[in-house]
Amino acid sequence: MMAQEEDRIPDTPFFDRKRSLRGYRINKMAMGLGDPANRDAFRQNEEAYLDRFGLTSEEKSAVMSRNWREMVRLGGNLFFILKISAIDPVQLTEIGAHQAGMDHDAFLRERLGKK
Amino acid sequence: MAKLIGGLGTSHVPSIGLALDKGLRDTPDWKPFFDGYIPGQDWVKERRPDVAVVIFNDHGNSFFLDRVPTFAVGCAEEYRPIDEGWGPRAIPPFKGAVEFSWHFIDKLVENRFDPMICQEIEVDHGIQVPMELFWGRPTKWPVKVVPIFVNVIQYPVPLPSRCYEMGHVLRQAIESFDSDECFVILGTGGLSHQLQGARAGFVNPEADQAFLNDIATNPTKLAAMSREEYVEMFGSEGAELMMWLVMRGAMDPKGVVRHKHYFVPASMTGAGMIVMENQASATG
Repeated sequence: MMAQEEDRIPDTPFFDRKRSLRGYRINKMAMGLGDPANRDAFRQNEEAYLDRFGLTSEEKSAVMSRNWREMVRLGGNLFFILKISAIDPVQLTEIGAHQAGMDHDAFLRERLGKK
Repeated sequence: MAKLIGGLGTSHVPSIGLALDKGLRDTPDWKPFFDGYIPGQDWVKERRPDVAVVIFNDHGNSFFLDRVPTFAVGCAEEYRPIDEGWGPRAIPPFKGAVEFSWHFIDKLVENRFDPMICQEIEVDHGIQVPMELFWGRPTKWPVKVVPIFVNVIQYPVPLPSRCYEMGHVLRQAIESFDSDECFVILGTGGLSHQLQGARAGFVNPEADQAFLNDIATNPTKLAAMSREEYVEMFGSEGAELMMWLVMRGAMDPKGVVRHKHYFVPASMTGAGMIVMENQASATG
């Protein structure tokens, strides 16, 4: 399923029924990170934590490699998966640059107009 | 009866709260942004509203995808800051305007809006940041709040016109509320930003500036736009802007703009503020 090909607006995923169903496991796992006990579990044994939510191997590998573009492709919604960055710190603009396929500095300059 | 004294619009970007937490207010990246809010802060200091109705969206904190209310209204005694993954922020809890919340819910249902009713709920940066932008960092908030949550994340999200119409009901609810309290309404979210997909980092300063003009002078045009047009023009998360229409729908068709501010980028967002009054009640 290549959801991107169906985007009504190019390169702009709508978090619609299909994506919400597709991403339910990843998003539920990430939502769990709002609880400090789950953050500890994630830190101690990430894969065991992901298994608790029944993530497929494809989904696990996207999360464990911090492949944000792939997590979004698999239905992850940034508001949920962003909680991963509370444990393994990365800036929002770095997540943006990764999805845009750009170098961070170029992303800040060209997309956000930073000097 | 209660009185509506103003309509405020503002972004609610989480990094704004983070910048305040880290003491970055006066750094070159943030100072021009925060300074632009000073007139808005002065306005609330001078007009001293008693109640703030705040329209915002939860960001995957209080609501998961297991249950997604299109509209939800809080009627709790107190709203505590929620743990968004970094631990709850050290800001005071918000005191609820319980009586008005229930009155508003009655008016909504009588007018065929059927919200989720929340007696116990924690709140995220969607309401925290706007409150901090206008009231600073008090030890205790000088206003009571009424949170209105709008689903702008999982489609189908509501129509912009529906948000505008909800504003009419909010106006009616305030003006039929037996109290001498003064109300302000805060429409929050936006302006242009996109956090997901290959178009991540999309901002549209020109459209943002036009929005800040149209919200005052031509709100029916903004209410008539489709959800897709919002996403195309303001980015996938820029669709949050439709929440400003609840505020605008509660104000008179002709309003007076007291203050306006625009700054880009606040983190990955075009950030904006507006302070409006109704002509009839405008001071000076």
